[in-house]
Amino acid sequence: MNIPINSKIRLLQAVFILLCSQSLFAQKVVRYELYVKDTLVNYAGKEKRAIAVNGQIPMPTLTFTEGDTAEIVVHNQLKESTSLHWHGVFLPNKEDGVPWLTQKPIEAGATYTYRFPIIQHGTHWYHSHSGLQEQIGMYGSFVMKKREDDKTFRKGIDDLPTVPIILSEWTNYNPNNINRMLHNANDWAAIKKNATQSYAEAIREGHFKTKLTNEWKRMLAMDVSDVYYDKILINGSNSPELKTVDGKTLKAGDKVRLRISNGGASSYFWLRYAGGKITVVANDGNDVEPVEVDRLIIAVSETYDIVVTIPDDGVAYEFLATTEDRTQSASYFVGNGIKQLISPLPRLKYFEGMKMMNDMMKMNGDLDDMGMKMSLNQMDMNVVMYPEITGEAGKKTDHSKHEGMNMDNDPNRYNANALGEIKTLNYAMLKSPYNTTLPKDAPIKELKFTLTGNMNRYVWSMGNKILSETDKIPVKKGEILRITIYNNSMMRHPMHLHGFDFRVINGKGEKSPLKNVLDIMPMETDTIEFLANEEGDWFFHCHILYHMMSGMNRVFAVDDYKNPNLPNKKQAYNKLQRESNMPHFMAQNDFATNGNDGEAMFQNARWSLGTEWRLGYNDMHGYEVETHLGRYIGKMQWFMPFIGFDWRYRKMGIDEHETNLFGQKNEKDTRRAFSLGFMYTLPMLVNFQAEVYHDGIVRLSLMREDIPISKRLRAGFMVNTDMEYMADLKYIINKNIGIRTHYDSDMGLGIGLSLNY
Amino acid sequence: MKSLSKIVMVIGVLLSSINSFAQIKNAKTETVKIYGNCGMCKATIEKAGNVNKVASVEWNKDTKMATLTYDSDKTNQDEILKRIALAGYDSEKFLAPDDVYAKLPGCCQYDRELKPVAKSNDAGMDMKSEHTNHNHNEMATTKTADDQNAPQLKVVFDNYFSVKDALVKTDAGTSSIKAVELVKAIKAIEMAKLSTEEHTVWMKVMKDLTANAEKIAASKDVAKQRETFALLSKNMYELAKASKKETPVYYQHCPMYNNGKGANWLSKEEAVKNPYYGSQMLTCGSVQETINNK
Repeated sequence: MNIPINSKIRLLQAVFILLCSQSLFAQKVVRYELYVKDTLVNYAGKEKRAIAVNGQIPMPTLTFTEGDTAEIVVHNQLKESTSLHWHGVFLPNKEDGVPWLTQKPIEAGATYTYRFPIIQHGTHWYHSHSGLQEQIGMYGSFVMKKREDDKTFRKGIDDLPTVPIILSEWTNYNPNNINRMLHNANDWAAIKKNATQSYAEAIREGHFKTKLTNEWKRMLAMDVSDVYYDKILINGSNSPELKTVDGKTLKAGDKVRLRISNGGASSYFWLRYAGGKITVVANDGNDVEPVEVDRLIIAVSETYDIVVTIPDDGVAYEFLATTEDRTQSASYFVGNGIKQLISPLPRLKYFEGMKMMNDMMKMNGDLDDMGMKMSLNQMDMNVVMYPEITGEAGKKTDHSKHEGMNMDNDPNRYNANALGEIKTLNYAMLKSPYNTTLPKDAPIKELKFTLTGNMNRYVWSMGNKILSETDKIPVKKGEILRITIYNNSMMRHPMHLHGFDFRVINGKGEKSPLKNVLDIMPMETDTIEFLANEEGDWFFHCHILYHMMSGMNRVFAVDDYKNPNLPNKKQAYNKLQRESNMPHFMAQNDFATNGNDGEAMFQNARWSLGTEWRLGYNDMHGYEVETHLGRYIGKMQWFMPFIGFDWRYRKMGIDEHETNLFGQKNEKDTRRAFSLGFMYTLPMLVNFQAEVYHDGIVRLSLMREDIPISKRLRAGFMVNTDMEYMADLKYIINKNIGIRTHYDSDMGLGIGLSLNY
Repeated sequence: MKSLSKIVMVIGVLLSSINSFAQIKNAKTETVKIYGNCGMCKATIEKAGNVNKVASVEWNKDTKMATLTYDSDKTNQDEILKRIALAGYDSEKFLAPDDVYAKLPGCCQYDRELKPVAKSNDAGMDMKSEHTNHNHNEMATTKTADDQNAPQLKVVFDNYFSVKDALVKTDAGTSSIKAVELVKAIKAIEMAKLSTEEHTVWMKVMKDLTANAEKIAASKDVAKQRETFALLSKNMYELAKASKKETPVYYQHCPMYNNGKGANWLSKEEAVKNPYYGSQMLTCGSVQETINNK
């Protein structure tokens, strides 16, 4: 893979005014010039648009030493606005880089300078905070080195050779399209991942009942992630090699410190190393007591500093980053010589996961932890899906038998982790080497957030409110904010706080670790706290890009900060709110032998404006258009009251009329009617719709779309009190095309091509 | 009728679009060495390397040489060799993961000349020592039981913990073997040597304890064993409350078992390892009580 950047337009140059020489005391200004430009790349077989900075993806690594002053000049050569956010960095609020919250967007063609003192050290990163630009290349490492005279300087760790690593994903789809597909519950990504979890697959694996219960509880097939990616990248390449560090060839016994940032837009990565254990020495830029593990999962936007050792000469050891859904991975080969591979993580046992979810899900959509107090990633419910841990029964049994026998007389035999073979990092294992307690005399403000959302409409929120439905949360400077977060949604969320590190209350007391991203799994409750000692408007949000864009955000307003970049803060906040609840459009039409069936919808988190049509090819079959404007109510959004307008024309024979189930007659050929009604999602995901028209005619209907029969086959049906009915079958060819056959009581049997956008 | 035949036709076209004959375009051919032993290796290597219309591999078990033919626009030698290595076979470019190699059938365990001499084949060693361990184990148990100094009930607890650990691993066979030990240990208790407190409780629970342990021993069905284990744990809990121990014992609770009725168990460790669900829900549960009477 040596073709990332197409040289259609050569980019200018990176200018380093100052090189990082090791002067210890002088206050230095370290200046970077960044040229942001559209480019074409070919990571996965197709040439696609991306954004490169100084001609490269990822963006260049910015390196500073604590005590420097950073001066970063952004030249926006795109056709759209941009911004850069310094993730995890302490800085004055106006330099934080969130458009319409801390600054105005950097307009196309404009140049903008960020300038702030570097007052901390550690591994961080930076990325665009505008739209979905982060998905297509705008991420890079941001490393702040410890001064050598720092009293926290750790010999044997801080003096190791280090390499910055930024993980990311690539998709050949336009990220705007991905965003739309997620909101429209398009399951093409699941088909690509072979994770449809259809009835046929359920039956084959003996899980028919599991699937039935799942749909009864109104859940769509769940995966651990929603987006299919074509390639995983480590520093912009799928399998880079590390043979030398700082000009020195790596040899047996060498230790390397990898400064890893997860710059992926929505992917968690499992990190594993073929050369032995991984030693974690820092997290989110903060030192932790070294802890040795076999593997760890890095949440979206987290950073980990890890140390790996090269066991032997003549071998390059694979460091493997695998997406949480295990469909893709990228390798980093550390050392020189023949490549020692590590076995890939086996495919997830989806139906085991579905079964677990069924047990946890109450009928009203709330999660029930059954009295287990879950926190800090210690109890990973997903473990039921991991074959390497919950494995094929036969083999495991054998193995444990040996161990049990061998260890029968060992006094410590009950201390051995029953999972034994694989040690996975969790937050309870992180311990700061330093005392991190907050001032005792500071006033404490307690906040509680419940993370909420639903998969069906891809709405993600906090306390069932998206950003556009809430004001900023006022905080007094000098207050301690203690936040308890409970995740009542079905997905995990990496919650990120701008401008501060928070303590994670994890049982380590005074030495609780400091972080700025907290991954919180379904049903977990975690507590974090920090001293709000820097005024300004600080963003607090889920760092999964598509969750953030759906409104899973809050703003902490510490004191009444006068931001010179934003003279009109009220107006700016309105813009921020609007951008986090952008409407999305979908349309589909079936061009069939007996007519056209289709719909178009324009929706945001709460509102839906949709129109459906059935257009026959002659007057007898008729033409029918129904338009509804509705609002989704409740966390799960199962209930939608609406107002509607129907228009219909059909030529009926003499003396012919239609009578509905209630004996109401409709004799007109042309019918125009206003209606009031509601739609409610019943168990088994059946939509119940009740409507009363201005002329008193009532219509009730039941409808189910997209029943997953097999991987690519979907079925649906509709019946209503006008004695109309319909049944259909659709075979999905690709994300936009399907072949559909249906039988309709008005129009008879038809077959056609179904297109959707 | 007409439209029905149309449907049939379209579906027919759809299904038959999987072309049968694979012809590799832009073909490039290379010969590389791949380590392996036998005909079985040959099948595995070729299956791992082949991709319809993109790559084909032919391996000779005598010369260990493989002929790779591939579409140079779509793939490369590294990708093919990596797939083969992930199936367990070393080449000049890639070493197979150790666990994958270890899982190869015995006849396929070729000599790994390319691997640096180090600690390999650890797994194999364990297998061989299995038999000796059986005997050793039984002797050790008997010996401990005879030991006058150790608190008598400790042996009962230790064997109970063994049963629990086997259930954690959802291993009916081991549970049964361990339960046999437990029955032996229960029968070996000399009541005269128990403290008054212990004696009282012992009299109360002994009958149930023996019955339940025997039931687990007799069963080969882990679900049945777990049902009985819930009862057994109740007896053990009473005993734990009355007896003296050097190390604390944790009384733990799983709220989900038995359709939400819940069940308890004793553990030597604070960390929860659920014997009622095993790996299915390993860490489900919480500590109810820490029993610590020295």
